[in-house]
Amino acid sequence: MNKQLITEDKKLKIPDLISIGVYTAVYFVMVTIATFGSNLLLPGFSYVFLPAVSALISGCIYMLMAAKVPKFGAITIMGTVVGLFLFSSGHFVLSLIAGVLCSLLADLIGKATAYKNKLWILASYLVFSFGLMGPVLPLWFMKDTYIAKLEARGKDAAYIEGVFANINQGTFVIAVVSILICAVLGGVFGQKMMRKHFEKAGIVS
Amino acid sequence: MKIHLDPRTKLYFLLLANLLLFFHVDTKTEVMLTILFFIPFFFSERRKTGIGFGVVYVILLAVEYGMVFLGQSVLQNFVSMVLVGIRMIFPCLITGAYAFSTTGIGEFVCALRRMGITEKVIVPCMVVIRFFPTVKEDYRQIKNAMALRGIAVGNFALLRHPAQSLEYILIPLLMNANNVAQDLSVAALTKGIGIKGKHTSMVQIRMKALDLGYMILCSLPFVLFLGGK
Repeated sequence: MNKQLITEDKKLKIPDLISIGVYTAVYFVMVTIATFGSNLLLPGFSYVFLPAVSALISGCIYMLMAAKVPKFGAITIMGTVVGLFLFSSGHFVLSLIAGVLCSLLADLIGKATAYKNKLWILASYLVFSFGLMGPVLPLWFMKDTYIAKLEARGKDAAYIEGVFANINQGTFVIAVVSILICAVLGGVFGQKMMRKHFEKAGIVS
Repeated sequence: MKIHLDPRTKLYFLLLANLLLFFHVDTKTEVMLTILFFIPFFFSERRKTGIGFGVVYVILLAVEYGMVFLGQSVLQNFVSMVLVGIRMIFPCLITGAYAFSTTGIGEFVCALRRMGITEKVIVPCMVVIRFFPTVKEDYRQIKNAMALRGIAVGNFALLRHPAQSLEYILIPLLMNANNVAQDLSVAALTKGIGIKGKHTSMVQIRMKALDLGYMILCSLPFVLFLGGK
């Protein structure tokens, strides 16, 4: 009987799914806070910093979930559900796709060391954080449309290029670099919190 | 008069709004579709939200067109691009707000099941919706407890020590989340969530003629635009 328990343990069961749901809810609240926060930082272009701010503050949740539900699928489900909610609350459809892909990749990275190795979990958190790039992508579509509009009004191409040269590459690089830095900071903070609180309280071993 | 649209119709609106972004439609098509997206608001309980969105949208349109007469400067271009950007994600925002505010949990879950999405995604979805009010209540309690001990009292106190605030709020929140997860599991299992096979649903959803008709009506401006290209 004991043996059967162990083999079954690898699969996600209802209590696991409910735990994932609960953590996802807290994570989604963090994403919402990050949206407001980055709106204050840079109104109008807030989406650029959304993934970074959210990565900075959600490390604890990710680390706790990786410790509490160390099974393949947990992280993927978290990313998928967040993507689903973002999409159905009016975000770009790519936020769903990016959410699923990045979290799946993050899940695979975590699985490689059975969700035990701190460094790999951190790496997996880094990848997971890119899942929120989805809402950033409309910026590029927006730019194209706006250029088309300017051209329709008879502005010449060189002028338009000049206006947008910085915005285009600049924002992308800023977005990526800020996610990298913030995800590492947030992840390390999360792991510190795990040691400081949850291990002491006996919630995770 | 109230009209209740099928969740899947709302999902279709969302997809359509997304396609608007993909295909760089012209302003005429965009405005037409946006108006079509507005109409369902006025036949739901969320009339006020609809009016609010409508006013903002008209202002955005007006300001953007007014900007043209101000001449060309980098600042003018920048502001105008921000405005265009906000206006462009507006169809998504409207359809999203509509879908979110007029769909009940039961309906939403039923629609997900009908679309053949695995139970492994549906259960967490249900929990997320169920858990939001708890997060809000917990936050209030935590803030009270913090105030009692004289931590982070005042308007911007939370922002002065961001790391500390994050720790003091998030950790109790997660601790409680752990307990709630256990309670919910027990409650849900007693109610039979773990039973294998097809689950029945209290709420029934059906695609009506109105749903189909409105979907076609909304597709029209889009098809016309693509056809006219």
